[in-house]
Amino acid sequence: MNKQIEDIKAIREMMEKSSKFLSLSGLSGVLAGITAIAGAAFAYFYLLRDPSLTDYNRSQELSILFADAMAVLLISVGFGIYFSRKKARKNGQKLFSALTWRTFYNLGIPLLTGGIFSLIFLLRGDIQLVISATLIFYGLALFNVSKYTYREVQYLGLTEIVLGLIAAVFMQQGLLFWTIGFGVCHIIYGLAMYYKYDRKNE
Amino acid sequence: MINTILAKLNRAFESRIRLGIMSILSVNESADFNTMKQLLEVTDGNLASHLKALEGIEYIQSSKQFVGRKPNTTYMVTENGRRSFKEHLDALEELMK
Repeated sequence: MNKQIEDIKAIREMMEKSSKFLSLSGLSGVLAGITAIAGAAFAYFYLLRDPSLTDYNRSQELSILFADAMAVLLISVGFGIYFSRKKARKNGQKLFSALTWRTFYNLGIPLLTGGIFSLIFLLRGDIQLVISATLIFYGLALFNVSKYTYREVQYLGLTEIVLGLIAAVFMQQGLLFWTIGFGVCHIIYGLAMYYKYDRKNE
Repeated sequence: MINTILAKLNRAFESRIRLGIMSILSVNESADFNTMKQLLEVTDGNLASHLKALEGIEYIQSSKQFVGRKPNTTYMVTENGRRSFKEHLDALEELMK
């Protein structure tokens, strides 16, 4: 009887391990959240709170915001790769397998679409719409990829979508919703995942 | 009662490695040799012999391609294999009740 229980356990584990990308670390979520808050704070205090403090013209302002957003993105992705590689190594797995590519493909298509879409509207100077669009497309990307990784990712995705829609309604408070979505939500979600999955393995 | 259920357990799946192979192939369209080796943490020879056995009873099928000059064998579960594995899982589940 014990053999059968162990068999079922092994089957379940192998099905999950072979079909889901489980190397994503909760800590990378926390770091992404902190980076996003820092980026948003920079944008707010340096530019958006009182545009009269600086004498940039409109297109210079947009370039600074774009560079700020790119810095946040690159630093977050950098932390993500760093912590995922650490976790994969600890579990004796390779970070880049066929499964990893499938995961990134499913995350990447909605994300890239949203990125290009947002860039087009950023160039037109419509920052409010960009804020809402980044949240919505990011949420859709997470929702899509949740099939290939931790199921909980879908709840983060749904949260981002809802925040994006609210930001579209209350456009003046867009940056606040962006900070909640990319900052606060990432930190809360990252901590929850860290305590649920990562810490017990350390 | 227990004995009739035990009789439904498929002898071909007695080995943990074969269960692992069937588990991987039932949730993935296909998987190559190295991926399975890594997931199951077994030696080449050990994995190869179990794959051969499962292929012999037509539970899985293989196709060989070349990646550069290295041969790469990909495996898929057959209809027959999927059904047998499901029956085995059902029997295991019944035992747990």
